[in-house]
Amino acid sequence: MLPLAHVGHYLWVLYVIPIAIVVAAIVRNTVAQRRLAREHAEEEARR
Amino acid sequence: MSFIPLAHALASRQDLPIPAWLFAWAASIVLIASFFALSAAWRKPQFEDEHRRPLGERLSAALLGLPAQIVCGAIGVFLLGVAIYAGLHGTEAPDRNFALTFLFVTCWLGFPFFSAIFGDLFRPFNPWRAIGRAAGGTFAAIAGQRPTHLPYPERLGRWPAAIGLLAVVWLEVVYGASGGVAVGLDPHAAALAALIYSVYTLAMMAVFGVEAWCERGETFSVYFGMFGRLGIFGARDGRLYRRRPFSAATSWATVPGSAAVVIASIATTSFDGAQEGAFKSAIESTFEWFVDRGIGLTASLRLTDTVFILLCFAGVALVYNLGVRGMRTVPGAPGFKKLSAGFAHTLIPIALAYLVAHYFSLFVFQEQAQFGYLLSDPLGTGHTDLFGTVNNEVDYNFLSANAIWYVQVAALVVGHVIGLMLAHDRALVYWPDYRKATASQYWMLAVMVAFTCFGLYLLSVANG
Repeated sequence: MLPLAHVGHYLWVLYVIPIAIVVAAIVRNTVAQRRLAREHAEEEARR
Repeated sequence: MSFIPLAHALASRQDLPIPAWLFAWAASIVLIASFFALSAAWRKPQFEDEHRRPLGERLSAALLGLPAQIVCGAIGVFLLGVAIYAGLHGTEAPDRNFALTFLFVTCWLGFPFFSAIFGDLFRPFNPWRAIGRAAGGTFAAIAGQRPTHLPYPERLGRWPAAIGLLAVVWLEVVYGASGGVAVGLDPHAAALAALIYSVYTLAMMAVFGVEAWCERGETFSVYFGMFGRLGIFGARDGRLYRRRPFSAATSWATVPGSAAVVIASIATTSFDGAQEGAFKSAIESTFEWFVDRGIGLTASLRLTDTVFILLCFAGVALVYNLGVRGMRTVPGAPGFKKLSAGFAHTLIPIALAYLVAHYFSLFVFQEQAQFGYLLSDPLGTGHTDLFGTVNNEVDYNFLSANAIWYVQVAALVVGHVIGLMLAHDRALVYWPDYRKATASQYWMLAVMVAFTCFGLYLLSVANG
């Protein structure tokens, strides 16, 4: 028998995972876009 | 799974083929797929114009003419009168008195459900509007001039309606949360509250005018009218028309305080769904904290629930405002206030989805009582049988636990996909470049996924 008597109290974690994945993807995408924009601006300045 | 000793919360009344949390994952995938489909295929706003198609003149005259207005208004006033009389003079048993089921189930849930399909159904039956207009007409006939009113303060917007909405739900689920039946409020208290609200509403109508108060301050007009904006029928200049579904919602939130109304709707439904499930242990701890401070048991219970309702309101507002702040990071974004008001209507389908998910089964079961024994014996005294249905019982086998769960999941998913669609459509107005519009909607996608998963979590715990 596995000692899982109170595992139900942590069931909410399974509902947070999809939200965390979406937020992480958005943050990653935003950071990448900002870096691209910054690199583009630096390249323009060098020219 | 049966050999694992899962002591709490995992034993469900339903017999689902997959765990409840997997529905949240599936719903999130549906939302993400919808988001990409919208980004790829939806490049021009579709809902900014209602695309009105007028219905026949005779039909409009029959449904909107003065005789119809008088009849509908009289029905509204009569039913409100019956509910108040039943509350004051009927039985104290909440489930046998017409007043509670009529006010808090038939009207409170029925008008949003059906208005969301057909348009604002409450407006013609609004008893306070009918009384106010009759009083105004009588005054004009006697004095020979229309009554004059103060201009409605623009800054006040729909805030009185938002506060009224919180107050109505507080009365039902906090003040009356002790009966252990569908609506636990004492019928006498409900009737008294209806009387006080009637006096307050008629006074405000006298001060600001009937239509101005109904448009902005009257809680029920604003609340039911909000859902009516999703529906396919509307009326303007004495003519009925058909419109594109959801399109009227795009012009709803132009008045200050509108976002507060829709946020209050989601928050109060969330609290009602969570108080016996997800928030139960937190509520119990807070309740004990208040009791330890020497506050009485009933006062502590009400104080605790009030704190949690306000926390729910703050939580929902925070999630929405985070989404709006995220949109602000996209180049070319308008100001925060404009964005916050501009996207508030996208929460209306979510408010409806929460309402359907949490109260659909209550509505189906209690309406059997409403159109059965409550209509035949409104006072619940056992002495009358007006329509011969006093012995009708509620058939609780009418819906299985699984059927309720699937309706709940479908309501949440469909409501959030419509919300996403409305948000994408509005983004195309603010960012005509569809790539920027799509980038702005990453944040609303996060808001929608958060509300979907939170809603499913509340339901899964409440059903467990």
